Amino acid sequence: MGKLHVETPAISSPSLTKLCGREVYLKLENLQPSGSFKLRGIGHLCEEARAAGCTEVVSSSGGNAGLAAAYAARSLQMSCTVFTPRSTPAMVVDKLRAEGADVQIVGKNWNEANEVAVERAKRPGCCFVHPYEHPTTWTGHSTLVTELQRQLPERPAAVLLSVGGGGLANGVIEGLHRVGWDDVPVVAAETEGADCFSKALEAGKPVSLPDITSLAKSLGALQVSSRLFESAQTRPVFSVVVSDRQAVEACTRLAEDHRLLVEPACGAALAPLYYGLLPAEVAARPGPLAVVVCGGSGVTPQMLIQWQQMTAA
Amino acid sequence: MGKLHVETPAILSPSLTKLCGREVYLKLENLQPSGSFKLRGIGHLCEEARAAGCTEVVSSSGGNAGLAAAYAARSLQMSCTVFTPRSTPAMVVDKLRAEGADVQIVGKNWNEANEVAVERAKRPGCCFVHPYEHPTTWTGHSSLVTELQRQLPERPAAVLLSVGGGGLANGVIEGLHRVGWDDVPVVAAETQGADCFSKALEAGKPVSLPDITSLAKSLGALQVSSRLFESAQTRPVYSVVVSDRQAVEACTRLAEEHRLLVEPACGAALAPLYSSLLPAEVAARPGPLAVVVCGGSGVTPQMLIQWQEMTAA
Repeated sequence: MGKLHVETPAISSPSLTKLCGREVYLKLENLQPSGSFKLRGIGHLCEEARAAGCTEVVSSSGGNAGLAAAYAARSLQMSCTVFTPRSTPAMVVDKLRAEGADVQIVGKNWNEANEVAVERAKRPGCCFVHPYEHPTTWTGHSTLVTELQRQLPERPAAVLLSVGGGGLANGVIEGLHRVGWDDVPVVAAETEGADCFSKALEAGKPVSLPDITSLAKSLGALQVSSRLFESAQTRPVFSVVVSDRQAVEACTRLAEDHRLLVEPACGAALAPLYYGLLPAEVAARPGPLAVVVCGGSGVTPQMLIQWQQMTAA
Repeated sequence: MGKLHVETPAILSPSLTKLCGREVYLKLENLQPSGSFKLRGIGHLCEEARAAGCTEVVSSSGGNAGLAAAYAARSLQMSCTVFTPRSTPAMVVDKLRAEGADVQIVGKNWNEANEVAVERAKRPGCCFVHPYEHPTTWTGHSSLVTELQRQLPERPAAVLLSVGGGGLANGVIEGLHRVGWDDVPVVAAETQGADCFSKALEAGKPVSLPDITSLAKSLGALQVSSRLFESAQTRPVYSVVVSDRQAVEACTRLAEEHRLLVEPACGAALAPLYSSLLPAEVAARPGPLAVVVCGGSGVTPQMLIQWQEMTAA
């Protein structure tokens, strides 16, 4: 596998280690050149597409998946077209265009934009990049665990990560399997109002949320990947749902302790530690904790302060 | 040399590379466990002190050097006493105490606090840690360049860094010598009102500033290290002085483009790129640019916004 993504550091967090009474490592996917872990899987997908003769990458993500697709396409000298709904913030559209993508504003929500994208991708030479639901993407994400195995001093007690559609979780689970860590639990964090995985576990099958009501828009998948639901039946995956306020507070703490700015979708994975929400079965296991700081470009100092104000009691 | 510091990544910055028309690498010293590059040199100094039988580290820095000293002392199971003037912000005192330091508030300015610290360090078992003026500290900082040589694809056109007292510059120059890069220029950035190196070059010798009037307090040394002044006579060192506004603007750009929060003292090293102040002789050289993102703990999202307001035209 070629490499559009970079190997990211796994830093020991003095503040979280002190708070948790055990070593906590932060896998800094926020340092990926596209701004989030998405470049691992989407980069891999685009490389395979190019090898198969594709010349245009098509995305329906006005978010971190779109940015990863644009970055990957430019690196591979392919064109990139992003279809995104009218609700997409201007800052995101600007970032996509700065990355070289041809951004088409269509439709009033993601589903409408996605329909246009899927149609476009049927043209010869086009490759459709789903934001999370593709096995090749999961394989690309799994490189994160290969690096972690080299970087951690020992097998971790658990890997904490955020779940939107479940692409990251699928990739991490695949990676854990590859390095012989099938027994290492995954703590899958979501926010209230963007908790399709938790709802699937409750229902006994993947179900569709009626809407996304969390401010963590990057977790905004209505239905979880079936693959993640299936994995949770056969290997340890713990669901933790946090409030928007807890996710934003985690972002605030990370900014104070490490001077890193992340989206609430990313803060959700840290919230279990800041709020003592680690499942007892995980807390009882020996070893350090590893948290995937998934990153995300949709955050500025001003936005963090606004979220703090929005979620204040 | 043992290792209290960590090897930091040198990431390629897509945005700065696009802006400068050449590859720009950011050496992320903000990821050091104490929050800044200072841990390299001060960690090394404390290790040597411990090996020589010292049990107490004494510092007069209510800043990043103090934090590095406290972190190093705790890691080496030594005690740490920090003498700092009444003007030290409460947030900094809290961080030092959280790091396990015994913080003594004495005097109305750094000179008075430093006198008490120097006196204290005469006690048996005590080691005085000067924030920047010690050859052992420079040797510790030089490890940064050893890493860079492995990380960069080729010899850089220049290394950009911030100068307060000159300790970082001394260490980088020592490291450049050790790896055979004596001809690689150092671009020494300061802010107006904390520009003791620039003033020394003007005067033909190190001179003392009457006061620090820049808001980049971490650059607040009244007189530059003689070693740096001497080095500038025999190997390429370029002085660039930026305004507080340009330094803060660089912090804002870094937060937008990389979601990293740094102090204005750190932003100063990026300002030559964002404000097109790279010396012509450097711009004419082939190779990538390497910028030391020195870090620093004295920044929060709110503080950055306040600095933006303070320096708005």
